[in-house]
Amino acid sequence: MSNAAKKINLNLKVWRQKNAEDKGYFDVYKAEGIDQDASFLEMLDVVNEGLSKQGKDPIAFDHDCREGICGMCGAVVNGHAHGPKAKTTLCQLHMRTFSNGQTLVIEPFRSRALPVQKDLIVDRSAFDRVIASGGFISVRTGSVQDANNIPVEKKSADLAFDAASCIGCAACVAACPNASAMLFVSAKVSHLALLPQGQPERSRRVLGMVEQMDTEGFGNCSNEYQCEAACPKGISVQNIARMNRDYAHARFTSED
Amino acid sequence: MLKKYLSSSIGKKQIVALTGLAMVLFLLAHLAGNLLIFKGADAYNAYAAALKEFGALLWVARLGLIAMFFIHFVFIFLLVKQNRQARGVQYSEPLHANTRSLSTKLMPVSGTILLAYIITHLMDFTFTHSNIANATVCGDYLGLYGLVVNHFSNPFGSLWYVIAMFAVGFHLTHAVQSVAQTFGWNNSKYTPFIKKTSVVVGIGIAAGFAAVPIYVFFLACGTSSCTLG
Ligand code: HEM
Ligand code: FES
Repeated sequence: MSNAAKKINLNLKVWRQKNAEDKGYFDVYKAEGIDQDASFLEMLDVVNEGLSKQGKDPIAFDHDCREGICGMCGAVVNGHAHGPKAKTTLCQLHMRTFSNGQTLVIEPFRSRALPVQKDLIVDRSAFDRVIASGGFISVRTGSVQDANNIPVEKKSADLAFDAASCIGCAACVAACPNASAMLFVSAKVSHLALLPQGQPERSRRVLGMVEQMDTEGFGNCSNEYQCEAACPKGISVQNIARMNRDYAHARFTSED
Repeated sequence: MLKKYLSSSIGKKQIVALTGLAMVLFLLAHLAGNLLIFKGADAYNAYAAALKEFGALLWVARLGLIAMFFIHFVFIFLLVKQNRQARGVQYSEPLHANTRSLSTKLMPVSGTILLAYIITHLMDFTFTHSNIANATVCGDYLGLYGLVVNHFSNPFGSLWYVIAMFAVGFHLTHAVQSVAQTFGWNNSKYTPFIKKTSVVVGIGIAAGFAAVPIYVFFLACGTSSCTLG
């Protein structure tokens, strides 16, 4: 097999927006001679280099790890959060997914609760506030506990781990027809609710986090499951079900 | 506590699910009654008369049903309004076009058709009492049975009913399994079964109800109409 990767040309239609107050608009760019082994973000790097050389403002986008684990990157490409490939973040999406001459419409994740700051960058502090309202356990830090001191059932450990693999990228909000954050919040509620360490604050956690989620102005879940389809980590909507029953239970039984 | 529950997204959803489920149970009972039309005028009219026997109790049930309907509608209205606001700026490309199921996407549409349908349905069959003018088939006065037959002999009456039953089918195909999720019942063991049940209930209820106008219009009317009764 030859190592020389195929080069492709693409037409980009990209959302440009100066700042949070700006109305924003779509601009068109040509991405030429793009290596098919490049990632989506590297493709944008190439386009931005060209823009910078012309003295134009490069397209702003968020990123950090570029290996699919930090949750910073993300955009909606042709109507798909993180692009058309399942269980893949934008930074791990490679240009071989696209064909020569294709037009890509690139938009920021859209929701009122996570407003656009600039171009493709959204402000996800609403997620931080949801976590701060209960997505933690209060423990004494310091000396480490003995390993295996607290027995955890294998099945629960697996489910908790699956839920904890949420990277908080907000693709679920972007993909939900109602811009609901239920998949994110339920993953964070679930990974602690499934473990013994999460039990003492279980009620307070789900009540606090759901209340904050609603306050932030996310939409309501209508069981469309587009979040699950878009999630780069394959977080299951079973977490949403778990949160639904935990919430009702906590609301009617706890004194929090 | 209840106030916080009812103003939360999850609480509102669960109220919608609870009232929706109550209406589904009502529909199943209603369907069982309707299918008596295939046994003929006597069985059908006797069933209607037996219901009337309940008197005050019937009204309690009716008011309960109206309450369920009203609450369902009000909470849906609130949810849908918030959902529309939550996006802010719309996407230019259709979102995840190939993974959205039609029945799910159309919930507000099928629901609105149901709203319109239920109003006409009440006017046609609940508030219109059978009399000689509207319930006589081929010279025989047949009571409620006659009213139904005459109503469905009219193509518009049948067509509107069948359209509404498509809406019911779509609504419930999504709705029944959705109720399980909304109350937190989703696991790998039972969910596939619940989803199948939802499709069966949705199509079953729609087909069962639609069988009546189709039977009346195609089989009972026309040339053989006077063989009925
Ligand atoms: C006024 C007319 C109606 C409207 C506008 C309406 C609308 C809706 C909508 C938009 C949903 C989705 C809610 C969501 O997921 O956020 C829904 C759910 C539902 N509807 Fe209706 N509907 C109507 C009448 C009915 C009737 C007559 C029934 C029963 C026969 C019914 C049963 C259900 C059920 C069981 C659900 C599922 C709740 C859930 O997702 O957990 N609806 N309705
Ligand atoms: S940049 Fe870290 S997940 Fe994409």
